[in-house]
Amino acid sequence: MTNIRTNLLGGRRRRTMRTRVLATLAMLGSAVVAVALDDATAAPVVEPPNVGIVCTDGDTAGAQQRIFNLTTRTGYISLPDGNTAFMWGYSSGFDGFQHPGPVLCATVGDTITVVLHNTLAVPTSIAFPGQTGVLADGSPETTETTGGGGGGAITSVAATAVPAGGTVTYSFVADHAGTFLYESGTDSKVQVRMGLFGALIVRPATTGAQAYASADSAFTENEEFMVLLSEIDPYLNQAVERGKNFNMAKYHPRYWLVNGRGFPDSIADNGASWLPTQPYGALAQVNEFGVDHPLPGLARYLNVGTEDFPFHPHGNNGLVIGRDGQELKGTGGEDLSFEKFAINIGPGQTWDVLFKWRNAEDYSPSNPVPQGVPDLANSVIGTFYSGSPYLGTREVLPPGTPSLNQCGEFYIISHNHALFQITSWGANMTGPITYMRIDPPTPNDC
Amino acid sequence: MTEISRIDRRGFLRLTGGVAAAGAVVTWTGKVLTPEAYGAPGAPDLYLGGTDGWIHLPQTPNIGFFHPDNLAPAGTGLTTYMFGFRNITGMTNTQRDAQKYKAQHSAPLFWVKQYDPANPVDFNVQLRNLGLELRPDLFDAHTLHWHGFRDVIPFYDGEPSGSVSVPSGRDFTYVYRPRDPGTYMYHCHVEDVEHVQMGMTGMVFVRPLQDGNTTHYPSGKYLYNDNNGSTGFDREYAMFMSEIWAEAHWADAHIQLPEWSDYRADFSMLNGRVYPDTIAPNGSIDPFNPVYDSTGDLVPPPGHPDLKYQPSSSLVNCNAGERVALRFANLGFREQAMTLAGIRMKVVGRDATFLGGRDRTGDTSYETETLNIGPGESYDVVFEAPAHSGGAGHDTYMLYNRAYERSNNLAPGGFGGQATEVHVHPTGTLGVQLYPNHWGV
Repeated sequence: MTNIRTNLLGGRRRRTMRTRVLATLAMLGSAVVAVALDDATAAPVVEPPNVGIVCTDGDTAGAQQRIFNLTTRTGYISLPDGNTAFMWGYSSGFDGFQHPGPVLCATVGDTITVVLHNTLAVPTSIAFPGQTGVLADGSPETTETTGGGGGGAITSVAATAVPAGGTVTYSFVADHAGTFLYESGTDSKVQVRMGLFGALIVRPATTGAQAYASADSAFTENEEFMVLLSEIDPYLNQAVERGKNFNMAKYHPRYWLVNGRGFPDSIADNGASWLPTQPYGALAQVNEFGVDHPLPGLARYLNVGTEDFPFHPHGNNGLVIGRDGQELKGTGGEDLSFEKFAINIGPGQTWDVLFKWRNAEDYSPSNPVPQGVPDLANSVIGTFYSGSPYLGTREVLPPGTPSLNQCGEFYIISHNHALFQITSWGANMTGPITYMRIDPPTPNDC
Repeated sequence: MTEISRIDRRGFLRLTGGVAAAGAVVTWTGKVLTPEAYGAPGAPDLYLGGTDGWIHLPQTPNIGFFHPDNLAPAGTGLTTYMFGFRNITGMTNTQRDAQKYKAQHSAPLFWVKQYDPANPVDFNVQLRNLGLELRPDLFDAHTLHWHGFRDVIPFYDGEPSGSVSVPSGRDFTYVYRPRDPGTYMYHCHVEDVEHVQMGMTGMVFVRPLQDGNTTHYPSGKYLYNDNNGSTGFDREYAMFMSEIWAEAHWADAHIQLPEWSDYRADFSMLNGRVYPDTIAPNGSIDPFNPVYDSTGDLVPPPGHPDLKYQPSSSLVNCNAGERVALRFANLGFREQAMTLAGIRMKVVGRDATFLGGRDRTGDTSYETETLNIGPGESYDVVFEAPAHSGGAGHDTYMLYNRAYERSNNLAPGGFGGQATEVHVHPTGTLGVQLYPNHWGV
């Protein structure tokens, strides 16, 4: 594996994991009024965490009211082969283009209001699969058809905002916890593939960090990660950019992404400066599981592509505790969760997966690996390797060996196992690859 | 070598923008041009060699100029360039080194008893990189990645970026203490888009500690520590699934690069063969009693010289009324839909996990006739062999990929590809099964 870009692993990890941007002003009262936030009235910017989910919390103006403004934008993203792709995307408030859309976070019981502002030259919308009772501008959602009134071909499964300045306001009560997609409901075969999608996280109304109401869904608060899987056919994006027709029968993805990035960009920090339109990293930075760290991490998987993506986390089986916002419990509370080493997630599905990594054998310089360690000059040394098999230990590497290891931390890979999909139109070992980074026990030098 | 606790100047410069750290300059004190030989203590439980070679696939369909490959050794029936593993346990150094360019596919099946803390025994697999005969220009390293092994450290994971990989002519010993029974797979993880597609893939499974306890099931053989006999079986068969994209294999042989997003599964295989080769006899497949000729080379299955480097049969041979375990693992790049026509299968495990819920309150096992198995997934199923229909000979049931384009070799007519047969014999016909996929005759 070559061509790992340097400069990927940023500085120390900040411990604040969710940016609770509490907008205490604007958005007062009504849940259906769209008000533009401007710089003078916006809450102070809270810098996002380096790793983990970056929540967009919207405006919590009233009790159990949560208002999000989403604006459709166009822009470009960087791909691992050096190419760029023209994309459409939802941005938070009236920010510039980003990909994917902001991660909307809410709590069970919230009335969620999403005001869509359409700057595209085509009608567009937002569908909220998994939510019920969605209102559009105060009326129950219906599909839109060419004939109107239920006749003709379906043009949208969600109420549309007209091109170039239209708005539509959706609202619903987040009545169950889980991980959900939101995506364009209009000409979805084009618009979703152009990037009009994002994640919606609904948390249970519990005090601790839990995926669901059940206590056994608890996770370590700063070990919550998103794994949003998608794909791109660059010819579709090029055709849209140029206003040309595209024959969907020839749709053929050439890029596959995690959180809107391909490896190695995928493991760069949230908000990395060289990825201005791709704010979400996918590195899962954790500490080893044990008495000092008794709860697992949580990975929220989403598939917005067109086929199953078999994501394989090395080194830890994921415990699948929920799918599509449904906790895996029987009617009598039976535990129906199951462990998987291949998270084979289907299009449109979401899976909630607890994971952890135990230092099972506790190998260390005083409890060495049983069969010895070959001379490093007898080995091909990986870019993330410390030179030592032991957590928290580093060894001097032979001259000229590049290393991105900082403090003897471990890097254990996760990747799509349909392996032709961890390529980027000729650049192999890219695409939907990320790592679990296990930091040494404290005190450490990380 | 000196352990360092902070990043040296060179490391700091390499990090270019990473954490700032200051410290004394510590330099490499080991040899570089003539590194020390690595000698792990004692003989390994299994010794695998990684190399290249050729296998046999049907001459038709002809796939452009990609298949059959015109570089294939003439007169051998071999068609397709591969990378692969070979079992070199117990060989002399001369025999071992002679296995370069003699890879097999699928890789040798092996299994390990669940680690028992009360009687701790390590399982050691030594890997030697024998080199690539046809592509010495690649000088690729190899690793052994045990896919699905829980709580692994990077050193034993085989993912090359997070640890080390094994260059040509070198050895490395992986140590396993598997605590979780079930079916896994293993593969080389170096450039794994290529090395997995090229064939460095196989199955490994872990036998439960419950094995030998005959109170739950008379045979005392189980898939999991079920405590109730629900995973007990009389015979077991590995069904390892892989795929060949002819263009990629041709490209590797001819010093070309394929565009991986054009991927297609031209051949889908069971245990490295396509039907009807899947029901041809076994070669040497008992990993702990390997058979090879005086040079260390494989001995072809009887009557099938062209299957010399595809030793594993997929024929499921059983007596009526017996319980049969099938272990499926997929390292193809596409989902497979394996249908057993006429016999219900009970899915008792997936991804080396007993389907009983975290606290064993929820039984999530289920019956089905078709398993949808994604890349990197494993399924453990049991079925009860139906009564024999009477008369002479065995009854035949088909096990096949009902994504039919993957069970017909792209050729007209009938089965092929990822398909095999289940032969149900009258009670008492077959003898004891000596090892997985052994026919009992």
